[in-house]
Amino acid sequence: MATVTFEDATRIYPKSDRPAVDELNLEVHDGELLVLVGPSGCGKTTTLRMLAGLEHVDEGAILIDGKDVVKLPPRDRDIAMVFQNYALYPHMDVAQNMGFALRMAGVSKVEIAERVRAAAKILDIVEFLERKPRQLSGGQRQRVAMGRAIVRQPRVFLMDEPLSNLDAKLRVATRAEIAGLQRQLGVTTLYVTHDQVEAMTMGDRVAVMKDGLLQQCDTPRALYADPVNAFVAGFIGSPAMNLLQGTVEAGGVRLASAVIPVAGGVPKAVGEAVTVGLRPESLSLAPAGDGLPVIVTIVEELGAEAFVHAQLADKTADAVKANIIARAESLAAPAKGDLIHLHVKEGSMLFFDAQSGDRIASRS
Amino acid sequence: MAIPRRYFFRLVALAILLVFTAFFFVPMVWLFLAPTKTDGQLLSHSPFAFGSLGTLAHTFHRIVTYNGDSLLIWLKNSAIYSFGGTALAILAAIPAGYGLALTQFIGRRALLAITLVVMIMPATALVLPLFLEMDKIGLYGTIWALILPFGFFPFGVYLAYIYFSSTIPKDLLAAARIDGAGEWRVFRYIALPLARPIVALVGFFAFVASWNNFFLPFVMTYDNSKYPLQIGLQQLIGSTASFNPANFSAGSSVVVLHRPDLAMAVIIAVAPVLIVFLFAQRALVSGMLAGATKE
Repeated sequence: MATVTFEDATRIYPKSDRPAVDELNLEVHDGELLVLVGPSGCGKTTTLRMLAGLEHVDEGAILIDGKDVVKLPPRDRDIAMVFQNYALYPHMDVAQNMGFALRMAGVSKVEIAERVRAAAKILDIVEFLERKPRQLSGGQRQRVAMGRAIVRQPRVFLMDEPLSNLDAKLRVATRAEIAGLQRQLGVTTLYVTHDQVEAMTMGDRVAVMKDGLLQQCDTPRALYADPVNAFVAGFIGSPAMNLLQGTVEAGGVRLASAVIPVAGGVPKAVGEAVTVGLRPESLSLAPAGDGLPVIVTIVEELGAEAFVHAQLADKTADAVKANIIARAESLAAPAKGDLIHLHVKEGSMLFFDAQSGDRIASRS
Repeated sequence: MAIPRRYFFRLVALAILLVFTAFFFVPMVWLFLAPTKTDGQLLSHSPFAFGSLGTLAHTFHRIVTYNGDSLLIWLKNSAIYSFGGTALAILAAIPAGYGLALTQFIGRRALLAITLVVMIMPATALVLPLFLEMDKIGLYGTIWALILPFGFFPFGVYLAYIYFSSTIPKDLLAAARIDGAGEWRVFRYIALPLARPIVALVGFFAFVASWNNFFLPFVMTYDNSKYPLQIGLQQLIGSTASFNPANFSAGSSVVVLHRPDLAMAVIIAVAPVLIVFLFAQRALVSGMLAGATKE
């Protein structure tokens, strides 16, 4: 069991002036599944590869159990990694693939066979042990890659988008399986994905990155409820949070022609611009005259519920082009082209600085 | 009756292909038929006529026993030089190509450029300096003078470089490093087993280059018992009556060879290359990398 600590860890690629990972400070607790999430190019995979020893660390330190591993080659770090493309050895059968690390460590043949079989049982791949990777389906290869990692009983698991090559249905099933397996084995895990749903459903905690900078690291619940800036607010949640440009008024905030009352007011001077964050479930259909008038552009019917895409009805205001998404009961969903009014649930609005995107007040 | 256009072009293409096929095929047919005939029949019979199996056996016997089994000695020499040279070429070129393709070190790009430049340089250009070198270090006249030069095989290095850089996913090597393999074991257990097709290809080219080499052994050997086949063939031409009438005055005791004997010798000289090619061919086409990573 192990903890992993990044201390001001920085990676600057040659011929690049901007760090791919910029002074990252992050701690993965013992036995925790921490998910690194962010858009492509945010530095999450680089972070993982720095921990693996596949990427040079230009500044700072990375500690496993309090010991700096930056100078150690990958083989001395006692970590196992699942690659996005699985990286199975094509000339070895499944058993040899899974036992390779043990063989490199000089473990006896008998013990290798035992441990490989035990791991194969856990993953339900015993029947494939003698097959070559090319004879397996994508899902089976994914399991073999997992098996190769768990058979070693390493201090840390690293997973680099292990589900991105699976089809949607298998991905959902495997997602829960990996999370369950991780909890069962209790091995500290750093998991990289660009899919925020995967991050939210799997992680004990989730670290959101953007442009090489860590934005926020917290539990899925806290990230959703209390994002530190507009980026995290917009990235976490599906469909995404509505981010609208508004103006501070006395006792409320103006969105186009409507003024939404804010209990306690917005801690900004009246007349200042502010970005307002609204979750789709905070918006509900209201009788005419109450709330935000919008025109429905698309209705996404999901069965139990529907997502209503709309635009502010007020054509005179600036920044009215913003798309607004609201959640509605499926039966009560309006039709395309309807003029409807959206009521904002009290205390559900988040405010962000219009320029920096930083959160400027607690929920109100 | 007009031929439809599409058939017309097909017929023209077919005719051109047939002409060229015949053009290149005829000399080979002639060569393989020549040892079945006597020198006289070679001139009097049709070029495509088959002589007799008896004549073939006779020709074979004559050429194999010529000058005290010379041909067999040359064959053996050629095999030693070529297998030795090929082994050395593979031993040097495969790790070199791997290093150039998949590792980072100072001067890598410069080395790659130099490899390309020396690849273009004709091998014969180096024969004289090599001769002086071998003479200085006392290897002139030994088999090493014909094997060691094949350790320098830039074409093989470049082939291996192309193969490693284009077919082996870097993640595969990363996975092995994480699995606890050091650099040597990454090469030994991962890269090398996957490099079978390129080992076969480099080996084949090195073998052919060594087997067919004339100028290097011409300079480096001085004794009939050390000659490889290519030098031996040159000797045989010198012993063939129709090519050198002046050498064979009536009553000379030298065994005289004829053109069918020479054709037989050439076929014997080519056969090992064909056999090596057949073996290399099997390894060349193996789709080893399928299933390594999901594309």
